[in-house]
Amino acid sequence: MRRDLSGIGASRGAALGRARVRLPHALEVDQAYIDESEVEEELARVHRAIEQVREEMHQLRERLHGALAHEVGEFLDLHALLLDDPELLQGLDRYIRLKRYTADYALRKQRDRIANVFLGMDDPYLRSRIDDIDQVIGRIHAALHQRDAELQGIAGDILVTDAIAPAEVAQLQAQGVLAVVTTTGSALSHSAILARSLHLPLVVGATHALQWLNDGDVIVVDGGTGTVIREPNAADLKAHQQRVNAYKREHKQLNRLRREPTRTLDGIDIKLWANAESREDVAEAHALGAAGVGLYRTEFLFLGTHELPDEETQFRAYRDLVLGLTGRTATIRTLDLGADKADDTGLALRNEENPALGLRGIRLSLARRDIFRTQLRAILRASGYGPLRVLLPMISGREEIRAARALMDEVAIELRGQGHAIAQNIPLGAMIEVPSAAIALTTFIREIDFLSIGTNDLVQYLLAADRNNEYLGDLYSPLHPALLRLLHDVLRTGARHGKPVAVCGEMAGDPGFTPLLLALGLEEFSLHPGTLLEVRRAIRGVGLADLRAQARSLLRAGDRGGIERWMRANTP
Amino acid sequence: MIEREITVTNKLGLHARASAKLVQTMAGFRSSAKLCAKGREVDAKSIMGVMMLAAGQGAVVVMRTDGEDEAEAMDAAVALFTRNFDEGG
Repeated sequence: MRRDLSGIGASRGAALGRARVRLPHALEVDQAYIDESEVEEELARVHRAIEQVREEMHQLRERLHGALAHEVGEFLDLHALLLDDPELLQGLDRYIRLKRYTADYALRKQRDRIANVFLGMDDPYLRSRIDDIDQVIGRIHAALHQRDAELQGIAGDILVTDAIAPAEVAQLQAQGVLAVVTTTGSALSHSAILARSLHLPLVVGATHALQWLNDGDVIVVDGGTGTVIREPNAADLKAHQQRVNAYKREHKQLNRLRREPTRTLDGIDIKLWANAESREDVAEAHALGAAGVGLYRTEFLFLGTHELPDEETQFRAYRDLVLGLTGRTATIRTLDLGADKADDTGLALRNEENPALGLRGIRLSLARRDIFRTQLRAILRASGYGPLRVLLPMISGREEIRAARALMDEVAIELRGQGHAIAQNIPLGAMIEVPSAAIALTTFIREIDFLSIGTNDLVQYLLAADRNNEYLGDLYSPLHPALLRLLHDVLRTGARHGKPVAVCGEMAGDPGFTPLLLALGLEEFSLHPGTLLEVRRAIRGVGLADLRAQARSLLRAGDRGGIERWMRANTP
Repeated sequence: MIEREITVTNKLGLHARASAKLVQTMAGFRSSAKLCAKGREVDAKSIMGVMMLAAGQGAVVVMRTDGEDEAEAMDAAVALFTRNFDEGG
């Protein structure tokens, strides 16, 4: 029978398919025993399964990069700790060896034993950590049966569950899940943000979905409106087809924008740079008509390796980037290790008391000049192959720029002396992500050639709100009057001095923020290629002069609600 | 063996992140490390063990380290509690 189970749309896209229901704590296994002769084999099975899960989690972590790795890494770390937990492992061994439980039953007993303790806790947060344990145990259980994290053959299905962890989103998308429906959650959660960036349709808050859906039920889902309907009737199917067509048309129209200029209605050209760290990103940036690469992260050369990458290795990577862009400009950011991005080379300090405020970015580079010099040599050598710019992360004041500039000049003279062909003029830019640099911009703006505002960190530092701290709720948000005023100041100062300013945080890649950023005076966006066309479309739909005229009212907004009202009023 | 009484002072108590920090810190030492509270003793190198203690703000726990680097292990643990697990504020 048809039943409307709709919730809140969190990530756009239409899907029609069979429901795959994942019940919370769904480790339903019957009591079963093994013979004494089978004990060793059963122990080996469990240990193989655990090893397999460890490997899966490792691979998942490797596949993640950029902002995603940051978001998801913490969950994976917690899960990795749980997986290696002596309490969990010894308990399993004991159940199998002494009680002769099957591996499955031992897992369930172990899970129930732990769950009883957790569920008896007063603290609702601690109580909810049983979810993490269930996820880990669920993965081991799936591995025991050679299933892919209990989602065997979910490709082409719609996952219906109570909640999805940010760590799962990328995995589900890679597995070919059509869409996800959850009974809880919010459109502002990290999972929802990730789903949008990966174009995985998501409906959250479909409160009754688990109660009324069974495995294999046909459902129709729209992540735009939040529609979830079981056993859709003819009218529902027709509506679904219309939505599919609408999304297809939208996609086609978007694709047509590949060759179109990024021009506002009143004829102003806006520059779209791509953020990139892989060869694929660079190729895609090129195909989408990006102005060049606005942020090339060099950390990947240093991560996952036990030795520091030498000059040749770095040079080849930077040269290939420049060559891949065939004459468009590459902006190479010098090493931004530290804080959340630890490395295996032992370069970044571990156990800093407050790593986000510690030795990271340019601070680390200036503290380890040997490494900085090697990187600058490699970058400058690549400048002989095409236009490139150098971007310094975590600048907090003028001294750092002077120190970096001096070293760069020194390296340039040295390289020319050694007969290397390097560009005559290599623009040097500063990331604006530390509030001090934004506030005291006029003290050094004459000494740099361009600016790139890293809103992700700027918001965190300006509002003193850790973006990964789940207790802070919506406190971490770019929609704060302080941030908008600061952005406006930086953009105005940049314009007055004729220095180009880009924004390279997540804000730049979300078309919802496009009118707001244009109103504040932004003319260069640096964003992941995945949303470049959507942002181009947003820009093509607005008049720059009209938006700029509204800047004053935007800057007058006193709180988040006021800013959101402005956004609604100024989005076509 | 060394034994020290420690009061949990951080706002959130031994929740997932604080537990993870403690476990990761203790894993770096050879000595065994136990944590006792509410009449239960758990392995301070086990995330689940530490989380299952559910020691909230104000709870008094007893830390025991035993082994060649027991003093260093204890110092590291005490420092972590004293710094409120770097939660800030």
